[in-house]
Amino acid sequence: MLEVRLKHMRSAVRLAKFALDHGETPVACVFVHEPSGQVVAYGMNYTNESLSGIAHAEFMGIEQLRERFGGGEELMCVMRDVVVYVTVEPCVMCASALKQLEVGKVVFGCANERFGGNGTVIRVNGDRCTGGRGYVAVPGILRREAIMLLRYFYVRSNERAPKPRNKAERRLDRNAFPSLPWSRYIGRESFVEEFGEKMLCHFDDSTDIFGDLVDWDLIDEPCDWILEHLKTQCQEFALHRRKKIKLEV
Amino acid sequence: MVKKALNPLKIDYKKCIIEDRLLQIRSKQNLNEPDLARVWTIEIEAKSSKPIIDFIRRRLQPDDPLTFTHIKRIRKKARDSKKLVIIVCSYDLFNSRSSVCSVLAESNVFFENLSDESEIPRQGAPTKELMLEWSRKYWPLTWCGNPNDQILNDYTFDMNHINKMLGSISNLAQLEADKGNKVPVVTAFVNPLEKDKPIYAIDRRMEGKCTPLDHSIMTGIKLIAGKEKKSNRTQAYLCLNYDVYTTHEPCSMCSMALIHSRIKRCIFLQPMQITGCLKSSSGDAYCMHDNRLLNSKYEVFQWLGDEYKIPTVDAKTCC
Repeated sequence: MLEVRLKHMRSAVRLAKFALDHGETPVACVFVHEPSGQVVAYGMNYTNESLSGIAHAEFMGIEQLRERFGGGEELMCVMRDVVVYVTVEPCVMCASALKQLEVGKVVFGCANERFGGNGTVIRVNGDRCTGGRGYVAVPGILRREAIMLLRYFYVRSNERAPKPRNKAERRLDRNAFPSLPWSRYIGRESFVEEFGEKMLCHFDDSTDIFGDLVDWDLIDEPCDWILEHLKTQCQEFALHRRKKIKLEV
Repeated sequence: MVKKALNPLKIDYKKCIIEDRLLQIRSKQNLNEPDLARVWTIEIEAKSSKPIIDFIRRRLQPDDPLTFTHIKRIRKKARDSKKLVIIVCSYDLFNSRSSVCSVLAESNVFFENLSDESEIPRQGAPTKELMLEWSRKYWPLTWCGNPNDQILNDYTFDMNHINKMLGSISNLAQLEADKGNKVPVVTAFVNPLEKDKPIYAIDRRMEGKCTPLDHSIMTGIKLIAGKEKKSNRTQAYLCLNYDVYTTHEPCSMCSMALIHSRIKRCIFLQPMQITGCLKSSSGDAYCMHDNRLLNSKYEVFQWLGDEYKIPTVDAKTCC
């Protein structure tokens, strides 16, 4: 299971790196149809391009699904089987949107310290007031890579700021990472289901399951090919699904 | 800003109601528990207090995101009458010891025990009793009245315009219901620079091509984004300082979308007890617009009058 999680999160991280290289906030996601293991949609932040503060990666993914499957029952049907892999914890708005669409599961890299909706600020995915179906959120997959991409972004935008506030904020930190308080995001049972009992020490110590490793190549190499790669995968899924529906009819 | 007595609006400061119609919505949690901020303190000889205070006012206060008007900056050190403890600045201004030290060095005043262990309430207490309690617990405060009185007094309201907008959304919602829209929720977005050109948005989730996420607030923000994009204007934030009028209290997604859009104010007509995310008594009491953990806020008011009828929507609907 961990290998599958890593495979898809690598795509999301590459897409976030693509966003960074093209002047956007480095946050991205891929939507994976769990039963078939196929990528069905992807998204990256486009708040700068669209001028809209709500143009988050998750909404781009949802919009792609709406274009292919319409907005009604077929969309909900696909969403129930979808695992969203997103580099940064969904904000409260996106966490709420995914719950209202009854997403299967959310897997994310690092916490969203300011707006996190899967446990950091509010735990929308398990609340009562948001409609839809509650979902499990799994944090900590390629967490350090996701954090590093955000740090690259902030160092860059600080350089451009007219009056950078102090030196500490401009220095790129490659070594220190905050701890990961797992229980804020995921229950003990769900953690074991996801990672196995052997990993429980990380749950209790708030440490990364991958230790101190950071895959520098993944976040430093340019990856402009990722967009075409994901597009092709999404088209394949749509074709396959249309055939299947025709056969069933 | 006018003096309280000269304000032409009728304000009930106790119940937080303006003109008997607009109820200010705030988080209950923020009323009785202080929101604490870490500050840097130093100890000095009593005789150095004037030069160091002058220095702090001139060199640090102008840049400090925290205000200290409700705080006594100086307090006596326990068991040492010749020493004073002084607040230098907030931890928000400088988060490293070395930065504070290097600035203080410019003052040429001798100090000891630079510490970041003290915490002070970010705002004054709402009552005298709480002010005394917080003074004992955290740091000596001054009493300058309930800070919310000043906030209420400083708000501006164009009651004619508000009435007009609420009338319009109520009418539109009724039209939608008559047309058969099962979720007749309507929102108006008003740009402060173009008050006479409101943008109306309707809940579209029941329409063929739309998704269950097409609530009126979301469709409205997208509509504005499209218009702005065409006009080639560039603004830091899309709905910066907008006033938003909506028929039903927004859900978690929409109340957060309004934070992302940096609106100034939201006025709603109908509370949604199960799904609403603004009132303390609604939903899971998120009070999204006034939630300390989210570092951005907007003003919220509920219209209390019964002038504007709106069609009912199912109680479990997220609006």
